[in-house]
Amino acid sequence: MSRLRHSGLLLLALLVPRPGVSQGVGGTLAVDANIIGQALTVTTLSALNFGSVPKGVATTVLPTAAGAGAWQIQGSKNADVSMTFVLPAVLTNIQALPGSTMPISFGATSARWNRATNNVAGATAFNPIAGTTGKLGPPANPFLYLWIGGTVTPAAATKPGVYTGTIIVTIAYL
Amino acid sequence: MKAAGLALVLLSGATRLAAQGVVIAPHAVFIDARTRSGAVLLYNPNTDPVEVAVSFFFGYPATDSAGRIVVDSIRHPDSTSVSAAAWIQAFPRRLTVPPLERQTVRLLATPPPGLADGEYWARLVISAKGGQLPVTGVADTARVKVGLTLEVRTIIGVYYRKGAVHTGVALSRLRTAVVGDSLAVWARVTQQGNAAYIGTAHAVLTDSTGRTLSEMKAPIGVYYTMEPRYALAIGALAPGRYRLRFDLSTGREDLAPELVLPSPPVRDSVEVRVP
Repeated sequence: MSRLRHSGLLLLALLVPRPGVSQGVGGTLAVDANIIGQALTVTTLSALNFGSVPKGVATTVLPTAAGAGAWQIQGSKNADVSMTFVLPAVLTNIQALPGSTMPISFGATSARWNRATNNVAGATAFNPIAGTTGKLGPPANPFLYLWIGGTVTPAAATKPGVYTGTIIVTIAYL
Repeated sequence: MKAAGLALVLLSGATRLAAQGVVIAPHAVFIDARTRSGAVLLYNPNTDPVEVAVSFFFGYPATDSAGRIVVDSIRHPDSTSVSAAAWIQAFPRRLTVPPLERQTVRLLATPPPGLADGEYWARLVISAKGGQLPVTGVADTARVKVGLTLEVRTIIGVYYRKGAVHTGVALSRLRTAVVGDSLAVWARVTQQGNAAYIGTAHAVLTDSTGRTLSEMKAPIGVYYTMEPRYALAIGALAPGRYRLRFDLSTGREDLAPELVLPSPPVRDSVEVRVP
C-alpha cells in the first residue's frame, strides 16, 4: 500500500518537473504541492464479497469481516469528508435468465469508519443508509478508512449462479 | 462491463480485488473569469484501468442538526442562487485512465452575459469504477455466489470568481459541553461578502494559568450560515474553570495562498465549567 500512500505526492512530482531542482522526497514536493494543490485519493481496497451462500438462509457479512468492502481515503490532514452510499435492494443473477434476483439489506451498524488507521476493530459504526461525516487523520497519517457489510437473504428456490450488484460510495470534500 | 465479460471474470476465478482508485488533484478548483478555464488531473496508481465519469451539481457544505458538516445539494437552483453548475463543462466527461498513467480533465466556464461580480459555486463529481468483480471460486453452476462491486464518487468544490470578490465571517453563539472524555464545541458562523469563506477553525482549551490543555485545527468552508460541532479530547478534566478560545482565519495549508481570499481573523472565547 505504500505506493498508494504516496501516490498523491508522486502525482504532483510527476506533473511539475522542476529542472535543476532535486526531485527527492523533500522540500521540492512540498513546493510543488503548493503550486497545484493537494491531491485527494479514494481507493477501493476490497469489494463486498459473500462468497458461496446457502439457499434459504440469510447470510451476513459484518463490516469487521474479511469479506467486507473497504476503502481508503487520503487527502488534507484533519479535513472533514461526508460519506454517503447508494445501496442496492436486490442483486441480479448474471448467469441465469433475467428476473432471477436476491434481496440484500443493510442495518444500522453495517458500516464503519476510522480516522487515520486501518483498524476496523476500533472503528465507529454507522448506518450506511443515513451516511455520516468523518475526519481525515493528522499530518502524519491523513487517512480515513471505511468498511461496509450487509445481509443477503436467498430464497429456498434461489437459482444457482452469480449474484451481483453495485454499491456506490460518495466522498465529498467539505 | 457487459454481463458476459463479468461472467468471464468470475468464472476465471478471480481471487481478490486489486486496489482501485484514482488520485485527484487539486481537491478544489478555482476558475478566474479572465481565463474561464481550469483543470483537474487524474492519476491511476494501480495496475487496472479505471473508468471515470465527470459531472456537476450545485451544492455546498452546511451543517445538520447535530452540527455535522454535510453537502447540501440543490437540485433546482433558482435564478438568484450562485450556482455555476449549469454553465461549467468538463472535457472529456467520460474517460479511461490506464494503469500508472495520468489524464487531464479540462473545465470550461461559459457564464451568462451580465453576470454580477462575485463567486459562483459548483460541485464536481468524479465517478471511478474498476473492472473486476470480487466473487471467488471456479466455475460451479450448482452454487449460489454473491459479490458486489464498489464504485467511488468523489466530490470536490469548483469556484468561479468574477471581478471584485471578498469574503469574511461572523462568529456568534460559541458554546461548549463536556461529553465523555471530549469537549464539544459549537459556534454559529455566517459568511460575509460575495465569496465563500475558506479558512481554518482553531480551538484551544486553557486552564486558569493560560496553559494549553487541548487544541484542535480543522479546515472550514462557510458558504451561508452553519453551526459546526467540534470535539477536543480532554480526558479526565479536573473540576474547575477553564477557557475555550475559538478563532477562524483564512490561512489554509492545503491551498495555495493566492487562491485563498484574505480576511481578518475573528475570535471569541467562553468559560468552561467542569463540576
